[in-house]
Order: sequence, then C-alpha cells, then structure tokens
Amino acid sequence: MERKRSVRRRRKTARRSWLKQCKEFLRQFIAFLFSNVGIILLVAGYTIAGSFIFMTIEGKHKLKLKEEVLNNRTIFAGKLWNITYELNRKVMGKEQFNASIDELLRLYQKLVVNFTRRGFDGTDDLTSSAQWSFAGAFLYSLTVITTIGYGNIYPRTPEGKIATIVYAIIGMPLFLLYLSNIGDIMARSFKWIYAKCCLCRCCPGVAKRRALRKIRREKRMQMDYDSDVTGSDVTEVSISNPPLGPRHSTVSEALTEELDTDVQNVPVPVTVCLAIMVGYICSGALLFCKWEEHWTFMDASYFCFISLSTIGFGDLVPGDKIYGRGRDFYAEVLELSFVFCSIYLMLGMALIAMCFNLMQEEVIHKIQTTVRTVKYILRCNR
Amino acid sequence: MRSMHRANSSKSLRSTKRRPRAKIKDCCRTITAFMFTQIGLGALVFGYTVIGAVGFMHLETPLARNNTTELVEIQSHRLRHSLELYRVALNQNIFDEHNFSIAIDRVLASYQSKVVELIKRGYMESSDGSAWTFPAALMFCLSVITMIGYGNLVPKTGYGKLATVIYALFGIPLYVLFFLNVGDALAGVFRWFYRKLHRCSTQPDENAHHNHKKTIVPSSACVWLMVGYLLAGAATFGPWERWDFLDSVYFCATSLCKIGVGDFVPGANYFSSSTSEGNQTKLVISYVYIFFGLGLVAMCYNLMREEIGERVKNAKEDFDQCVEDTGVRLLGCFRKIRGVVEEDY
Repeated sequence: MERKRSVRRRRKTARRSWLKQCKEFLRQFIAFLFSNVGIILLVAGYTIAGSFIFMTIEGKHKLKLKEEVLNNRTIFAGKLWNITYELNRKVMGKEQFNASIDELLRLYQKLVVNFTRRGFDGTDDLTSSAQWSFAGAFLYSLTVITTIGYGNIYPRTPEGKIATIVYAIIGMPLFLLYLSNIGDIMARSFKWIYAKCCLCRCCPGVAKRRALRKIRREKRMQMDYDSDVTGSDVTEVSISNPPLGPRHSTVSEALTEELDTDVQNVPVPVTVCLAIMVGYICSGALLFCKWEEHWTFMDASYFCFISLSTIGFGDLVPGDKIYGRGRDFYAEVLELSFVFCSIYLMLGMALIAMCFNLMQEEVIHKIQTTVRTVKYILRCNR
Repeated sequence: MRSMHRANSSKSLRSTKRRPRAKIKDCCRTITAFMFTQIGLGALVFGYTVIGAVGFMHLETPLARNNTTELVEIQSHRLRHSLELYRVALNQNIFDEHNFSIAIDRVLASYQSKVVELIKRGYMESSDGSAWTFPAALMFCLSVITMIGYGNLVPKTGYGKLATVIYALFGIPLYVLFFLNVGDALAGVFRWFYRKLHRCSTQPDENAHHNHKKTIVPSSACVWLMVGYLLAGAATFGPWERWDFLDSVYFCATSLCKIGVGDFVPGANYFSSSTSEGNQTKLVISYVYIFFGLGLVAMCYNLMREEIGERVKNAKEDFDQCVEDTGVRLLGCFRKIRGVVEEDY
C-alpha cells in the first residue's frame, strides 16, 4: 500500500516535471523566436516561404502569356498573307501594299507594347519562366515586406495580387519588429565598440588624461561664465553661484565619476552616424558598379540611396545576373550577387535603424539647444 | 527667415520706437508656431511638393528630345521591316502559304524583339511629348517624399537623379514630421467623435462618469475605417482607369502601405494619352487621396498602438494572476498530498 502510493506519487511528479519541462521548452522557444537570432531567422523564413508561394502562383501565368504572344503572331502572319493574296489578285502596287502593311505593323507594335507591359520578356522559348525564378520571387517578397517595391516584377494574376496584399499586411509588422530589435542591438554594440576603441576607454591612462582635460575645460568655462555674470549683472550671481560652485569639490572625485559612467551613456556624435551611412552607400555603390556592366558609380549610388530609403523606383535594378535565364535551381540560389543584394538590403536597413537610434538623443538635445537660442534671440519671457 | 526678421526688426528699430519691433517679433513667433501645427505642416509639405514639381519639370523636360529619338527609331524599324515584308511577298509570290507564313513569322519576330528592347530602354507608347506634366511631376514628388516610389516616372538625367537624392534627403524628415503630427491630431478628432457616438448610442448610466476621461477606440473601428477608405478609393479609381475592382483595391492597398509596386498608377494608362485634360484632374484627385490616406494610416497607427499597449498590459496582468493562481493551487495540492502521505506513515 505504502509502496504503491509512493510509486504513484513519483509517477505523478515525473509527469508534472515532464509537463513543466515541455512548458519551459515552449516558453524558451517562443522567447528565442522573438530574440535577435530568432527574428532574423523568422524574417528569412517568411521571405523564403513567400518566394515559394509567389513562384507557384505566378509561374503558370507566364507561360500562358507567351503562348498568347505566339498565337497573335500567327494571326498577324495570316492577315499579312490575306493582304498579299488580295493585292496579288489585283495589280501589285508597292505604295498600296506598303501602306496596308504599315497599318498592320502599327497594330502589331501596339499589341507587343501591351504584352510587354503585362510582363512579356521578349523571348520565345516556352520552357523557362525567367522572372519568377526563385531569386526573382525572393527579391519580390523582400521588396514587399520592406516596402521598397521596385515594381520591375509584379503579380499579374488575381490570386497573386490578393496574396501580395495579405503577405504585406503580415510581413510589414514583422519586418518593423526586426528593424527595431536589430537596430537596438546594433546600436548598443556599436556604442560599446565606439567607447572601447575610439575613445580608448580600455586603456586607463588615456581615459584619465581625457577626463582631466574635460574637467579643466569645464572649470575654465565656469570661471569665464562667473566673471561674465559678475561683470554684467550682480543680482544673478547670488542666485546662480552657490549651486554651481561645489559640484565638483575635488578633481579626483570628478575623475572617478567620469570613469564610472556607463559605456552605454557615451554619446556618439551625429557626424559619425552620417559618415557610417554615407560610407555604407558608397561601398555598396562600388560593389554594384563592379557587378553590373552598364552602371556608372553615380547610377549605383543612386540605386543604393533609392533602395535604402525604401523609395524604390525600380528603374535601376540589379538585373541580368540575378534574374538568370533558365539555369538550374541551385546555381541560381547560390548566385553570389543575388545573395549579396538581399543581404545588403537587410543589413543596410538595420544599419539605418541603428543610426537613427543613435542620433535620436543627440538630435533632440541639439533641437532643444536651438530652441533655447531662438528664445534667447527673440527674448521671449513667457 | 530669422535673419530676415532680424534685418526687418533692426530697420524698424531705426525708423520708429520699440512698438513695431515687438509687434513684428510677435508676428514672427506666431508664424513659427503656426508652421509647426498640423495645418502649417500640411501647407509646408504641399508647398515643398509644388516647388519640387516645378523644379523637376524644368530639369527633366530636355529629356523629351531624347524620347523623340526613340520614337524616330521605332518608326525607322517599322519602315525597314515593312520593306522586308514586301521583299518576302515578292519572293514567295508562288502562293505557297506555308513558306510565306514562316518567312513572315521570322520578320515579325525580329520586329517584336526590337520593340521589346526599345521598351526596356524607356520607350513609352503614349509619351510622344513630355511625360513631365505638372500633375505628373507633383505625383512624382509625393511618391518620393512619402517613400512610395511608383517608378512609372523616373528622372533620367544625371542632374535629375542628384536632385532626387537631395530632394528626398530633405523631404523625408519633413514628411515624417507631418505624418506624426497629423496622426496625433486626427487621432484626437477621431477619439472625440467616437466618444460622442458612444455616449449617444449607450444609455447614460453611472459608468459614463469615469469612462469620460479616457475612451480607448477599439482597433476594429480603425480597421473598418481603413477598409472603408480602401473600398471607396477602389470604387472611384476602378471606373476611371478601367481597372477591375481587384486591381484598384490592390493599387490602393499597395499605395497606402507605401510599397508602391507601380504596375498600376493613375494617369499612366497605356491607352489614353497622358496629356489629356481628364487625366490631369485624375492625377490631382489621386494626389489628394493618397495624401489624406497616409494621414489616416498615421491616425490608425496611433490609435492601434494605444489599444494594443492597453491589451498587452491587460494580458500581462491576466497572465500574472493566472500564474499566481496555479502556483497557489499547486501548493495546495502538494500540501494535501503531503498530508495524505504523512497520515500513511
């Protein structure tokens, strides 16, 4: 009896612990999904899933369109035959023939223009659907969720349009989450690197000297201010001087305070952020104008700016290499420039989010200073 | 502006006494304050787009010449191919339909590939003059600063590209400021409206007193509003542009999400020329539609953020309570078991 009960109890606790483990695992999994690595994987997985969806939806339409073009051409050939036949029965006048042929060709041109607008790419082979290859569909899904929207390829079927709307509505918040998360992490790590390396926080001698210099400068400024104030206005001194005076009683105290400030409180100047952005755009432009034969440096940097600001006109798109025609699947996936382009976009957006994150405080501080200056100039006493 | 004001004020100081200077200062202050209100910001954004439109028109109109060269080229292609067709007709004059159609098919295929190549280089069927009319340029400027970027009309000269980059650099922060501000204002209006409706529809009971200070608009209201706006836009754009309903819904959704795929753009219809009178008004109306719609999106974003924040807080509280509850229950369970066990011993 006793043993039985103990066994049951043990089993019960075992089951409970198993349940708990499961729950714990689930919780950890969800936490991981919303952590930094998880969200990158989530965005990548979402994009890959989207590219497969769009490939299956849009792939068929392409072939239908090509068949239509071919059919139209045979119809026009038949018409031309009819014209020739008609004119041949009468007298063969060159002007008349030319006029009717010109009319027909004009019609045909209009038709071809229309087909091209609808996505005809000018090749005749029915086997390959070049635009909606895996690479193309992947870039399409990426441009939808990042709201770049190049528009060089777009869905033509009604199902594709509905899928795009739904895909965007779910994908955009996900991408925003990615941006805020990754931007935050990158900002923190960049601040750390900046503080450790650029300001030489890691070697104490330099930091000490820097802190000393800063304190000295502050003191001088304060003395200047005091003398200025005493020169101009006597009543103000009695108010402002006592709280300002004993703030740093000794130099060493101030030094320790200065050295103890958290790395995360080190302000990164706006110019550094701007330099990072400009440098990122320029390096991207250099790489792209190496990759694409016809692009000048100007074109490539224009492309990078338009992409990273999510405007995305789509007049310049890294094209010929990415939308490879009719090669096998894996060669396309592993195409270096396609991978590079998508990584460039994802990383660049996170970088811009980071820069905004870093600049925010500084810019707010600057604006406040400006407002104060303007107020002082306008002498607003309200 | 500030320097102008200072110059003004110094001049007035010289001419008269203190009074006018203070007045000018006041005036300046009120103007600056007004500029940062919603209406002022809207006017600022509107003015910025108008200035941009005029600038881009002047920058890009020399391109019309370039476009006409493409037109000439396509005409020459047509002429050459028709001559070739004539030759084919002369050669195959023996009523052999099969051979004739094969030869003609070849000629037509080469012509087709030429046309496709020209289109890829930027030839537009309808743009026989300048595509950069004023409303089109206005639409272009709006699409740049709102980051929609349709891409149906793009700068082709180097200066145009540089100008676009600079224009975007200044325009985007301005637009974002406007977006945040208008979102706030519209959210306030909508909340007030919703509260009024809510109070009218429900019985005025004692609950109304402490509900009064803060009513949270449910997100379903925002969703319904957005869907209504989308459908209204779709219903207006559909018949105009001869799009079917799904296409116009797709256009409105992708525009308001700022994706801007650019396969459907109002006024860029292939069949009608872009310079006709009706298209201009359509462009202006679509400009207003998108301008206002983005403000609505900002409003919904604002309201939904509030509501979702509240919901998350509630859910967290619920979760905490639930955890506490289960903890207490588990503890009770343990105690009971232990009691039973001890009894056994």
